[in-house]
Amino acid sequence: MAARALGWLAVLALIAGLGAAFGYAPREAVQGNVQRIMYLHVPAVLTAYLAFALVFLGSVGYLLTRRAGWDRLALAAAEPGVLFTGITIASGSIWGKPTWGTWWTWDARLTSTAVLFLVYVGYLLLRGMVDEPDRRARAAAVVGILGAANIPIVHFSVKWWRALHQPSTILGPEPSPIATPIAATLLINWIAFTLLFAYLLAERMEIARLEDTHAG
Amino acid sequence: MPDNWGYVFSAYGLAAVVLLWYWRRLAGRAKSLAGRGERQGR
Repeated sequence: MAARALGWLAVLALIAGLGAAFGYAPREAVQGNVQRIMYLHVPAVLTAYLAFALVFLGSVGYLLTRRAGWDRLALAAAEPGVLFTGITIASGSIWGKPTWGTWWTWDARLTSTAVLFLVYVGYLLLRGMVDEPDRRARAAAVVGILGAANIPIVHFSVKWWRALHQPSTILGPEPSPIATPIAATLLINWIAFTLLFAYLLAERMEIARLEDTHAG
Repeated sequence: MPDNWGYVFSAYGLAAVVLLWYWRRLAGRAKSLAGRGERQGR
């Protein structure tokens, strides 16, 4: 019941986010309307960071306690994390074509994000290959912990290496130079994506609990 | 710079399709597990 309420809250927030992205935020002076893709791209990557941080937490929790709930948390966060990373890569690529003139370049940020995506796809594949629950959870936890090391690499790649991708304008060390309507639209969409993620996480955790009940 | 609305709608459309697909997948799985639980309960 709480998950359903969360789902409806996420729907309302997503509608508000779309309204802000297409009705409230101004046309960006340099990029034009294609910049509106950022209201999807930036919240998607921030949500993916959150998801993989929860995979890390669940993985550490499982290795320390061996309680199945931690493993379920890690699994339930990994699936939407992969989806949001995929959306980040696809939306960035679609934005890149008219802006940079190319769908893809082996820039540090793009490459490290692609590696992040592949690591967690591998995490999900690994879970599908091991039948014994404790062995599966332990192996997945190791990948979940090692995979999280890539998150700071993705985030700071634009500082550490010469990159085509712009430096962080939010979550950066300096105050954000973004105009208020653009910052507010990003914030609304970030909240909407976080609510959507929380709903998907709650639903997936419940499914994992039922799967465990039926399995044994 | 041209507005490139086609790119904008493609990005949002793709994200909507992916998220709806996952949501429907979760809903289907939850329904099938609930059905299995009811059969076992009888």
